[in-house]
Amino acid sequence: MEWDWNFVWEIMPTLIQGVKITILATVLGSILAAIVGLGIALARRSENRIVARSVGWFAEFIRGTPLLVQLYFIFYVLPDIGILLPPLVAGVIGLGLHYGTYTAEVYRAGIDNVPRGQWEAAKACNLGGRHTWTHIILPQAIPPMIPALANYFIAMFKETPLLSAITVLELMNQAKSVANTYYRYIEPMTLVGAFFLVISLCSVVLLRWLEHRYGRIER
Amino acid sequence: MKKLGILAGVAGLAITAMLLAPGARSADDAKLEQLKQQGFARVAIANEPPYTAVAADGKVSGAAPDVAREIFKRLGVNDIVASISEYGAMIPGLQAGRFDVVTAGLFMKPERCAAVAYSEPVLCDAEAMLVKKGNPKGFKSYEDIAKDSSATVGAPGGGTEEKLALNAGVPRDRVIVVPDGQSGLKMVQDGRIDAYSLPVLSINDLVKKANDPNLEVIAPVQGAPVYCDGAAFKKGDEALRDAYDVELAKMKKSGEFAKIIEPYGFSAKAAMSTTREKLCAAK
Repeated sequence: MEWDWNFVWEIMPTLIQGVKITILATVLGSILAAIVGLGIALARRSENRIVARSVGWFAEFIRGTPLLVQLYFIFYVLPDIGILLPPLVAGVIGLGLHYGTYTAEVYRAGIDNVPRGQWEAAKACNLGGRHTWTHIILPQAIPPMIPALANYFIAMFKETPLLSAITVLELMNQAKSVANTYYRYIEPMTLVGAFFLVISLCSVVLLRWLEHRYGRIER
Repeated sequence: MKKLGILAGVAGLAITAMLLAPGARSADDAKLEQLKQQGFARVAIANEPPYTAVAADGKVSGAAPDVAREIFKRLGVNDIVASISEYGAMIPGLQAGRFDVVTAGLFMKPERCAAVAYSEPVLCDAEAMLVKKGNPKGFKSYEDIAKDSSATVGAPGGGTEEKLALNAGVPRDRVIVVPDGQSGLKMVQDGRIDAYSLPVLSINDLVKKANDPNLEVIAPVQGAPVYCDGAAFKKGDEALRDAYDVELAKMKKSGEFAKIIEPYGFSAKAAMSTTREKLCAAK
């Protein structure tokens, strides 16, 4: 078992195809998770008890079951009731929903941390519900959440290999198919690890910058 | 952790290689001795009936492991212990020492012959495709799939069918790697893939179990050759392989070989009418 650089260059284009899909799935999944998370966090605070309870129960259900099981469900079971999603879409929905329930908790913590006085001040200024949220609460709640949200996005990025189970040709699947063809694991798997590491480190830098830029709030 | 795992694996390999290096011949005979002593041989299977099957209670059967179990018994190794693996992972796993032999319907092809030491042929089969009833896209061969730019075909990752489809000119993004037979069947039913390709007997078994009147089997696929598998040993274990071949030949002669594989639907005559040499040289 020797490291073969020629082989590395030969398989590089295939793996880069996989990297593109991995990044695409992560970005789309993150956006969905951010939206779903906010939706869940807001719905759980709803004054309508039925909405708050049922959304809360739904979120606990998703949070308490493995992502892989959910992916299988979305991909293989939903077609039985007529919902046929392409693999990547199914994967993004799976990632987005699953991580949405995690980010919902981050949002909840962020919103709970906005001082009570702010709510009272908004009320005193006669601001409506929508204005209170969009102009007073969320602008103060979101910046401190950025590091915690970033954590989940990196975690999600590293969970994209699970999508190979539902035939998405992302990085891990491409590497496996390369290994299947050439009977060699050492180069493809090492490269997969290296790609993930490099992209994670880059995104850490990017997220630090985001935190720096938007993370500070004046009180 | 992944990195650590690889490092540990490499270190382990290096040590094994050092232990095995002096005198390949003596190491060979030692391999059979070692198997006898531990009382079992580790085999790789795929859980693709009728080639290899794992029953609900965990019992391993299927034509390939049944033949291997009998031969190992005759060699003095009491039992086989099977682990399920993807086709593509079998040869690397064999090389890494995770199994002693692959008995999974891994068809002999020149590039595989170069990577492992095959026994003489055991199970022979042609290729088939599973499609929706009436074969709406009119597939007869892998080339037909290549020609239709919207058609997709499912195949096991690293399996013969995946390579046949790719060689026929179906682009990579239209050859969907399907993890197992049940998923492939479901994907055809759901219309995710237009065809699912496996050997004839595997497809027939799958369809029989699914009992779905909306499916149709196309067999054999035109232009795809009849392949035969053999028990695949690690390069360097040729002495064990040769001992295996001797017992296999005896069983073929006495008719016991046919008695094991024919109930599964395989033809013993097909396996006996060809040789490893011919199959490994074939294009």
